[in-house]
Amino acid sequence: MIMRSLLLLTTVLALTSQGALADERQAERQTALLASSCANCHGTDGRGTMTLAAIAGRPASILESQLLAFKHDESAGATVMDRIAQGYSDDELKALADYFANQPEL
Amino acid sequence: MTRSTTASLSASRRTLLKGLGAGALLPLIGCGPPGSGNDASGPRVVVVGGGFGGATAAKYLKRFWPNLQVTLIEPNKVFHTCPFSNLVLAGERRMESIAHSYDELKNHYGVQVIHARADDIDPDGHRVTLDNGDRLTYDRLVLSPGIDIRWDAIEGYDRAAAEHAPHAWMAGDQTQLLRRQLEGMPDDGVFILSAPADPFRCPPGPYERASLIAHYFTQHKPRAKVLILDAKDNFSKQGLFTSAWQELYGDRIEWVGLSGDGAVMRVDAERREVETEFGSIHKASVLNVVPPQKAGLIADRAGVTDASGWVPVNPNTFESTQVKDIYVVGDATVAAPMPKSGFVANTQAKVAAAAIVSSLEGTPLLEARWANTCYSLINPEYGISVAHVYNVQNDQISIASGGLSPGQAPGTTRRLEAEYAYSWYNAIAQDTWGS
Repeated sequence: MIMRSLLLLTTVLALTSQGALADERQAERQTALLASSCANCHGTDGRGTMTLAAIAGRPASILESQLLAFKHDESAGATVMDRIAQGYSDDELKALADYFANQPEL
Repeated sequence: MTRSTTASLSASRRTLLKGLGAGALLPLIGCGPPGSGNDASGPRVVVVGGGFGGATAAKYLKRFWPNLQVTLIEPNKVFHTCPFSNLVLAGERRMESIAHSYDELKNHYGVQVIHARADDIDPDGHRVTLDNGDRLTYDRLVLSPGIDIRWDAIEGYDRAAAEHAPHAWMAGDQTQLLRRQLEGMPDDGVFILSAPADPFRCPPGPYERASLIAHYFTQHKPRAKVLILDAKDNFSKQGLFTSAWQELYGDRIEWVGLSGDGAVMRVDAERREVETEFGSIHKASVLNVVPPQKAGLIADRAGVTDASGWVPVNPNTFESTQVKDIYVVGDATVAAPMPKSGFVANTQAKVAAAAIVSSLEGTPLLEARWANTCYSLINPEYGISVAHVYNVQNDQISIASGGLSPGQAPGTTRRLEAEYAYSWYNAIAQDTWGS
């Protein structure tokens, strides 16, 4: 009986953690899909080499505060990013900042 | 759980996830380039069309799921973009600078690229027939067919007429033909551009073209004029365009809208004459007819177009609402309020690629989101833009944010937006074709 309960418990734990990790993976993919739109001006994975600042590998906190400044119209130099950042929640902007911070620089 | 915590999922967690067996079910998304995937053995996705939509779809399918077998069908070995073709017309760029190959897709992403034309689709048999007679089967099909001209829409404007009065609305030979005509134009000539009613490829395109050709005239044909005859009363970024025209070109550019008798009904291409709705005849030195359009022919063959000539899609996935397992992206789709732009085709392709991966592995659909920024150059150092983010609300594509460049802005802002336009072009070309 104890063995059966233990087995059951182990199975439930395994399934739960697998489910949680699958959720995490799903959320990670969601961020990757959101981030893919940024490539059109900043290069694939943010590794652009053009006039626009390369964003890959920059510190997440700096990227996040910049994105939030764009969103809340507090960035004097904005041209289009103010218009774009407003289309994302603060959580999404943080996830995008983390995503690009984790991309290797060119 | 918040997305922010998962975005920093470490490499060791990824390994753990795979170790638990979930990795086999959930292929990596957003991971680094997969290298050669020629040994891929997963489900087969065929992509028809190698423009902004199709090339992006092929690349991101492989990025999202390296083991997919992805085949791209595109007749041309080199693709010329419509974006920046107006700079070629103005003599500011060469054709080579808007030409892109499929080397990155083949060599880096392991996409099988077949240079042939897709002639027919059998949706029931999941088969594509090529003009060389080959047949390909698919698990999922992506069509990025672009536009075809409605040759029956304006009296007298057929394929032969386009050799005298180019449309230049698909970049390539037509672009070069129009450029040669502009170079040969008399110094006091009139360039007439006939613009169509909505919807059509690149809503601000005709007005950027008029602007850059006016710029060319200021340099090389000082007494030449630009006349835009328009089949509508309102156009994209109208206020920004008209005030910039006033500022930079004075009365060199004249625009006549629908209610001013601007709709061209008949074209005599050899005489370079047009007749408008109420019978006015205008004679041009160089005549550029941007005609009404519809989805590219292969969309008809696949049975995905509706009575409008365009392709209705499920906004969450960009799968055809009419034919299962066929996803359609780019100018061919009905996706208003998104414009028919290369930028939009690229982001639609990413959403479709993610939806295809979800459908093949049976995982929940990701939330769709798209962005668009359309830059227009009034001259090579004066840029304006419209930018939006789109999402799905109540099963409709909706605007989440965005708008136009400010109406009143210092010259530095316009210069900066022009710089960003060049930077955007390099970035999206890199993201789409790798060059």
